[in-house]
Amino acid sequence: MTVPHPAQPEPPPADPQSEPFWTNLRAHRLTMQRCEECQYVRWPPARHCPQCLATRAVWAELSGRGSVWSIAVYEHAYAPEFASSLPYNVALVELAEGPMLISNLVIDDITAIRIGDAVTAVFDDVSADLSLVRFAPAPGEVA
Amino acid sequence: MTLSGRRSRAAIIGVGTTEQGTLTGRSANEIAVDALALALTDAGIANKSDIDGLITCRSFGGYGVDTQIGPMIGLNPVYSATLDYGTCNFSLHLALMALEAGLASTIAIMYGTNQRSAGNRFRATPGAEDYGAPYGFFNVAGPAALAFARHQHLFGTTERQLGEIAVAFRQNARLNPLAIFTKELSIEDYLASRYIVRPLRRPDICMISDGGACLILTTAERARDRAQRPVHVVGAAQQTGLRNYQNADQLMRPWIASVADRVYADAGLSRADIDVLYIQDPTSIWVLQMLEWYGFCPVGEGGRFLEGGRIALGGELPVNTNGGQLAEAYMWGWLHLCEAVRQLRGSCGDRQVPGATVAQYCSTMGFLKAASSILAVDR
Repeated sequence: MTVPHPAQPEPPPADPQSEPFWTNLRAHRLTMQRCEECQYVRWPPARHCPQCLATRAVWAELSGRGSVWSIAVYEHAYAPEFASSLPYNVALVELAEGPMLISNLVIDDITAIRIGDAVTAVFDDVSADLSLVRFAPAPGEVA
Repeated sequence: MTLSGRRSRAAIIGVGTTEQGTLTGRSANEIAVDALALALTDAGIANKSDIDGLITCRSFGGYGVDTQIGPMIGLNPVYSATLDYGTCNFSLHLALMALEAGLASTIAIMYGTNQRSAGNRFRATPGAEDYGAPYGFFNVAGPAALAFARHQHLFGTTERQLGEIAVAFRQNARLNPLAIFTKELSIEDYLASRYIVRPLRRPDICMISDGGACLILTTAERARDRAQRPVHVVGAAQQTGLRNYQNADQLMRPWIASVADRVYADAGLSRADIDVLYIQDPTSIWVLQMLEWYGFCPVGEGGRFLEGGRIALGGELPVNTNGGQLAEAYMWGWLHLCEAVRQLRGSCGDRQVPGATVAQYCSTMGFLKAASSILAVDR
């Protein structure tokens, strides 16, 4: 079964808290805030560390490695800009650094990847303003 | 007041439900007030000023606020509040607290919505921020599908097993005059229906509808000699998962098990005492998860538990005798509690569970909060 990822998403709304995340994605770097006090990697972007409530954080580059927590395949377009992409997959990826990230799997045959499989980040410049991080199978890696 | 030795925390003395479906020409607040009027009649309350507490529920479009409802019903209650999240259980528990704190003596909890007529599309995924939208992650069907696919992977649960839920609820709805979806649905029909978000099909996901519901509560002492047999709330518990995706396996909602630990202890009852069970069901996976986390079967065995019509009327554990959100009406779970009261009154006609004296209602606010209540009547 061929299940492409969606082609033409709209850019997310501008937000000062998340702006570094999107800027770094355009440079093909997957980054999240790492707390300078307790080293907890937080997602989504926020002023405070949810572990220790400190505000000092660095935008740390992540390994891009993770494993597939689950996969769903949209066969109904809840938003019109995705209608031409149906059916498309959405995956929840458990990153090596801990956070859970909603994304898409870049794979022609969705049955060729399974929950628990290792994946690695790939970057997709969908427009001049927006790059997304999606995930491709990482053969040989143990999730 | 004792119910075979159990403590009554409050009594439900009135229930009102409007027609459900597409109610054009009425605002959300007007529908809520229609439900209040029905509940007052049901409770035999001739003087509406007997209602000295009002707990409203915010509805789509910013309606359902107590300050909007007050002038519509001509009341200055001594206590009022509005909850942003529905599912009725949270409103019920706030009413319990207000009664136990002595803030009010007779409380109406109410909800009305015209979200079908008003065109709510539920594009957003609750709790997922905006970070999923560029990836096409929309609607509660998305996280629900991820949760079921994970359950299938871990435990071998099949789509046919999940289909038992939609099939049983549709059968119940066919016996419920209030229900919207009453076309027969066999397991073969289910398996032939189209996917919305694979592995979930059309019958696994509830449809948006308009409607209103209201319940009236008072203390056990004040509930004596009323028009209706009082239905007592004998147990209540909640748990949140507010950290959302920071929680391990958040879409499986394992923290719901904590509600089970406390709600049975609060009621002094066990699962075996539950005659009829209500589970709020925006999607069918909610039912599978809650059967497991509330301990009606071991975690992972929900699929096998559902087989053989166990949750159907006449089965070992009838669930959602009203048809649930999947077949009766959306209503954020409010109708589940109304149905539970009517079952314990023995007034459900063809879908009555014979001799039902204890009911449990389990609900969640998306992936962030869970609540459960146990109701009982003296027999």
